[in-house]
Amino acid sequence: MFDWLANPNRFNRITEKIQPCILFITIITLISGLYFGLFDSPKDYQQGDAVRIMYVHVPSAWLASFLYFSLAISCVFYLVWKHPLADLVSSSIAPIGALFSALTLVTGSLWGKPMWGTWWVWDARLTSMLVLFFFYLGYILLSNAFERKIDGSKTASVLAIVGLINLPIVKFSVDWWHTLHQPASIIKIGGPSIDDKMLLPLILMIFALSFFSLYIIILNVKTKLIEKKCEALLFKSNLQEISKTG
Amino acid sequence: MSLQSSFIQIFVSHIKREFLINFRSLVDVISIISFMILIVTLFVLGIGPFEEKLRLISNAIFWIGLILAIIPSLEKTLQRDYDNGWLDQAITSPTPMELILLSKSLAYWLIVIIPLLISLPLFIVLLNINLKLIPWLLISILVGGLSISLIGIIGSALTLGAKRGNILLPILIIPLIIPILIFGVGISEAVRINESPLGNLFLLIGFTLIYLVISPFISAFLIRIAISR
Repeated sequence: MFDWLANPNRFNRITEKIQPCILFITIITLISGLYFGLFDSPKDYQQGDAVRIMYVHVPSAWLASFLYFSLAISCVFYLVWKHPLADLVSSSIAPIGALFSALTLVTGSLWGKPMWGTWWVWDARLTSMLVLFFFYLGYILLSNAFERKIDGSKTASVLAIVGLINLPIVKFSVDWWHTLHQPASIIKIGGPSIDDKMLLPLILMIFALSFFSLYIIILNVKTKLIEKKCEALLFKSNLQEISKTG
Repeated sequence: MSLQSSFIQIFVSHIKREFLINFRSLVDVISIISFMILIVTLFVLGIGPFEEKLRLISNAIFWIGLILAIIPSLEKTLQRDYDNGWLDQAITSPTPMELILLSKSLAYWLIVIIPLLISLPLFIVLLNINLKLIPWLLISILVGGLSISLIGIIGSALTLGAKRGNILLPILIIPLIIPILIFGVGISEAVRINESPLGNLFLLIGFTLIYLVISPFISAFLIRIAISR
């Protein structure tokens, strides 16, 4: 199935068609999600208006973890089937995932100020998100640390897969650490007690951000394909010049 | 000679080789111990000489010191063999690379662990560690040290031939070894508040076993990538 998509020309042709649809869905869900989230959803009885940070915080946290998963999967495709396109996909996912995890940390910190009274609390979820951010950072740094691009991609792909094995353990151990050190005293979002009116914008925002990142990833991959084409053309013309003069 | 016994022979000879290289000069051993003492000193200087405070966090200081003291020496484990061409030779030999790396990480474990075990009484005195903790501390250092060296081999293989690999290595390694710190401190903390540390110990052992299985394969894969360029 992915063999079929791995052809760059076919990829270009297909994305040419679906890209406007993705952009359209992104805009619609983003606008409606923001409207419902910011204006047409109830205040929390404890947190007041500050609860509206949730509509950015939770989707970006969800996406940061989901994007890491897809990063590792595309790294598997790159290492096992050696699809060059898979490498372009994973190297375009990484910065977006890093940005989303940074956004989660920033919004979490902003949310923490009115709720906990400090900008940062070593809450289990925030801590594991911080670790996730460093996994992304490690991937990006390692993929740029080699003379040749291909060495960096291969090595960093292995790191991403190791991270996929390790991340659940980190997540679990941080939860474990947190319950050992202090009992859960923080107001937990989610769970069955969430109001329908709050759930709707949350789901809309999750869709909006997922389609947004899909759009950006496709754009990124296309840009990288064009860059590669330019490099190849440049290389060819250099060769021709050399053969002419030589 | 059966295949099995030849494997064991190769295994032992690789461990011997590592020991010879690392213990020929005692610089590495002394540097690990002194680095750890310095980290502990820095912590204590930062906290201030308050018995009460120190008693609460002495376990954490010990584990952080141990991890930070081991990390700088990780880079050399493979880089030296890569630079002088030993790895190129090893990869063409009929011995599986995985076996070589497993023996390498076990040897590295012993090389790191022995100085730490020698200096353990010193840290018990320096950090006022409770005497009933010693058996648990020994077990957790042994198990935790094994997983640090297994992960360290992966990190060392990741940064082979990388630009500024020595700076990159801690950034890649530290997120991976967070569970070791948490379970290790968990063992000591459980003993301190008179609970059973077995839960944390089993988690630490489980974590180590996962890496014992996957680490040789992952690092052998990485070394093949590094050699092929």
